Amino acid sequence: MTHSAINRLPAGFEDLDRFVDHWGGETTQLRLKARSSVEMPEIRAFYDAMVPRAEEALVHLEQYPMHEMPAEARRLMALVLALAQAHVAVEIFGAARAPNTPWPNSIRITTGLPLLG
Amino acid sequence: MNEISRPAGFKGKTAFTKSCSVPLDPIPLAPYRTQDFFERTRDRIFGRSWLMMGRAEEIPEYGDYVVRRIQPQGVSTLILRGKDGKVRAFYNSCSHRGSEVTTADTGNRKRIVCPYHNWMYSAGGELLNIPDEESFFDVDKKNCGLTPMSFDIWEGWMFINLQKEPEVSLQDFLGEFGARLTGLNYVAVQTPVTVVADLDANWKVVADAFIESYHIPAIHPKTIASTFSSDENRFARLLDARVYGPHRTVSMYGNPKLALDPANKVEVLAYRNSGAESLIAAGTSDAMSEFLSHPAVNPTRSNTWSMDVNHVFPNTQIDFGPGGFWVHQFWPLSPNTSRYEVKFYVPEAANVRQRLQQELYVSRVVEVVLEDLSNVARTQRGIDSGGKSHMQLQDSEVGIRHSTLQVIKWAEAQTVAEAMA
Repeated sequence: MTHSAINRLPAGFEDLDRFVDHWGGETTQLRLKARSSVEMPEIRAFYDAMVPRAEEALVHLEQYPMHEMPAEARRLMALVLALAQAHVAVEIFGAARAPNTPWPNSIRITTGLPLLG
Repeated sequence: MNEISRPAGFKGKTAFTKSCSVPLDPIPLAPYRTQDFFERTRDRIFGRSWLMMGRAEEIPEYGDYVVRRIQPQGVSTLILRGKDGKVRAFYNSCSHRGSEVTTADTGNRKRIVCPYHNWMYSAGGELLNIPDEESFFDVDKKNCGLTPMSFDIWEGWMFINLQKEPEVSLQDFLGEFGARLTGLNYVAVQTPVTVVADLDANWKVVADAFIESYHIPAIHPKTIASTFSSDENRFARLLDARVYGPHRTVSMYGNPKLALDPANKVEVLAYRNSGAESLIAAGTSDAMSEFLSHPAVNPTRSNTWSMDVNHVFPNTQIDFGPGGFWVHQFWPLSPNTSRYEVKFYVPEAANVRQRLQQELYVSRVVEVVLEDLSNVARTQRGIDSGGKSHMQLQDSEVGIRHSTLQVIKWAEAQTVAEAMA
């Protein structure tokens, strides 16, 4: 049995696969939506699982030129970047969304940062 | 005008409103809600002012173009770099039957082909080809290029004017304000992050929220309050304010040091070794040293400085901070709705750690925008209720006071010369 056909993340990070569908969006806007559309327990579960792996993930990703990552590494990078959204909820607001603000709302990131922005 | 008015600590009153020679009376709210004032704003302010369209570096190559829709007129402008390297602006309208000639907002086209009947133009705006030309009646192709729009560039910033023959040149329009900002080394200009929102508030309600820091401890307690206020300056009083004709600049107080809470593990991970010294900085201070050394950046040379707002009349704010610059624009759509756009000019990340730090930066500023978005809608509903005829403004809100009085002056003036006098 080969693992390459089913593993969406680099070897050693298979346990994070359960977060790829929700948190692995290709743009900041999609990851913002991922955080804003769920509640704290789901955000907390991602944060608690991902934070201890973040340093290891960054070390893994540093071996590639920024714009030439293999697909598995890009997915891992998206999960690392999704930590910024988990950070907004867990470390800034202590809530899934900014207090007294609407979701959904009209804010659109029309041009994002280079690489998964 | 603009006498030095340094606050003595932050205990007593500041006197920027007086040093800017702006009247101290309450400011009327009618300009924030009436149809009549909206129409004057459209015709006499946006119809006669130079309006900022972005940076020329966004279209560096022959054939690069951007399309911008100018509100509240809804006029579309096509800004193109020609074969000769020169940038020009045109009305986005075909010489055949007037259709807009582009479908995308940005791209590279060395030939512009109208999607309706394939009339073809060069990147310099000349008409090159009419399909089935022999069925027309002696069309004078030389005079059927795209129609130029009044256009000029100042310090890399592109401006248009909807007057076919502007009453004032861009240089005279910017005057001393422009001279003061000459020679800035704008960093990271090619890759702006753009955030857009349609807001349920008059454009001035939105602009006003970005030129005072008095609201920050109340509206942004968790996102940026600790960056803009402290025990020394609990109400985020200004460091400086100056006015230049219709334009103005204010300099805001800030906490000098970024304090990382070890409990915030993602923040520590992203900002540790990043070189960024503030939560609202996207880049490293090292890369910004030349930018920061300009006398118009942190003009009081304060060591408790967060940012400057340089408000170009009517609807553009070019902001400077320790990590670079960013630009807000406010476009009226109706008496009580507007389109808001902000561009953050961020250096391209050199590695994945910097990229993560920038993601935190963008994520935080989107939340700040969201907090403001809710606040401005609440403000507009209160203004629209008609309960209040005027607003009371304090010294740190001198930018709002000056802005509204200038807007009223332009809305009433018969000529631009009268408005600028």
